[in-house]
Amino acid sequence: MNKETTKVTCPYCGETHQSPEGLKGHVFKTHKGHGLPAAEGRIKLTVNKAEHVFHVEPAWTLYYLIHDKLGLTGAKQFCDRGACGSCTMIVDGKPVLSCMILAIECDGKTVETVEGIAAAGHPLIESYVNNHAMQCGYCTPGFVVASKALLDINQDPTEEEIVEALSGNLCRCSTYPQHPIAVKEAAGKLRAAK
Amino acid sequence: MKEFKHFNAYSVDEAVALMGRYGERAAVIAGGTDVLGKMKDAILPAYPEALVNIKTIKGLSYIKESGGMLDIGALTLLAEIADSATVKSKYAALAQAAGRTASPHLRNMGTIGGNICQDIRCWYYRNQNNRFSCLRKKGGRCYAIKGDNRYHSIFGGSVSGGCFAVHPSDTAPALVALDAKIVTSSRTIEAEKFFEVKPVKTTVLKADEIVTAIHVPEPAAGSSSAFLKFALRRSIDFPIVNCAVMVTRKDDKVTAARICLNAVHVVPYRAAGAEQVITGRAIDEKTADEAGAAAVAEAKPLEHNKYMVAIARTLVKRAILACAGR
Repeated sequence: MNKETTKVTCPYCGETHQSPEGLKGHVFKTHKGHGLPAAEGRIKLTVNKAEHVFHVEPAWTLYYLIHDKLGLTGAKQFCDRGACGSCTMIVDGKPVLSCMILAIECDGKTVETVEGIAAAGHPLIESYVNNHAMQCGYCTPGFVVASKALLDINQDPTEEEIVEALSGNLCRCSTYPQHPIAVKEAAGKLRAAK
Repeated sequence: MKEFKHFNAYSVDEAVALMGRYGERAAVIAGGTDVLGKMKDAILPAYPEALVNIKTIKGLSYIKESGGMLDIGALTLLAEIADSATVKSKYAALAQAAGRTASPHLRNMGTIGGNICQDIRCWYYRNQNNRFSCLRKKGGRCYAIKGDNRYHSIFGGSVSGGCFAVHPSDTAPALVALDAKIVTSSRTIEAEKFFEVKPVKTTVLKADEIVTAIHVPEPAAGSSSAFLKFALRRSIDFPIVNCAVMVTRKDDKVTAARICLNAVHVVPYRAAGAEQVITGRAIDEKTADEAGAAAVAEAKPLEHNKYMVAIARTLVKRAILACAGR
């Protein structure tokens, strides 16, 4: 039988060791002051500026954690396959699809949902209402979150840039023409408030 | 999703050791946009026992240029590649391909390594709960041959048994056209030789091997490249056909050409005939059209996908013209 050679990696600094004993010695010597590494499944997450610690199962998606466990029901699940955009959340500043992200892989990340955007009094909410950028409303939170992510990096987007930024969101009621109008109105208010 | 074990790998060695321990019973997860869809639909006969997360490996996300070569880490996001000034200027086909993949949100999640390792999208293979036990799942037959094959191969099936599912990647043809090399945890493979058709496999990677970087040689002076994609929707869609072309020209004549189609064959399809036609000649409507015709000269479409031949021919023509700025 082949002698098993298992390389192990220091959870603190990533240094590779040839045996668990070698790793133990290294941790004692170099990382004595550090706390124990977190168990897998225990994640720290900042959601809408509030810090949380969750114990999650490997099969939980970020969507399931935020929507079903934390109770922030703004984001919606429709396709559950990363193809519609209704579960869009901003993670570390970028719009992503929370149905296709495992919660267990989100340790240390910052999440922003439509609830946080509304609570901060973002002008997008009002401009979406003013411009009827919704009908049934199911896709709307996803659109608002994607629009907010765009306005975070670009306060004066062109129609083309808005269409591109929202091209990952589907609306079954076909409210597409209203979205650039709403986003431009909100962008104008943001610039005026500066 | 059913239960599974989850490991965060903190180094390439650790990921390789974990994959070695589990073999085919585990899957690698990076962006997750492909593997999680497969698990949610339970398309394969066996559900993975474990996922090995490689996003936790530090230092695999970068774009740098050194020694006449573009070096991209396997975990680099498609959005970062599409937006990179370096990639856009000298490796246009790759930036365009990355920028046309899926949707903006998915490009913020998906990695270049995952894009070339992604699984096929054949609707028989992807049907929920392993409904069609096809050749790619070590099953009995290919259901597309007699079934609805409007999105299947126009250049014949795979050698091993006749799977007609096309390779769906947008970045793969760009990497082949740019003559890239795929660096893995144990070797370096030419992009063209990276793809392979086997049950539940689309690449030559071994069970305990992961992609770590992509190396693209700097194109010779006088080179230009372009990528074009035909899909039913502008966003959130896989290609019906896509095409990447790199040409090198001197005194207006093409001295070298690499043309690669994808989504038309079981692996990215190098259009050698088209390359021969265009080499030694100037790029204009006539020569580009002849190259397009040569690219599909060996096409043998199935019952429902004859239209793909016309699209492939036109894309080759237009991509060649795009290289000449037309």
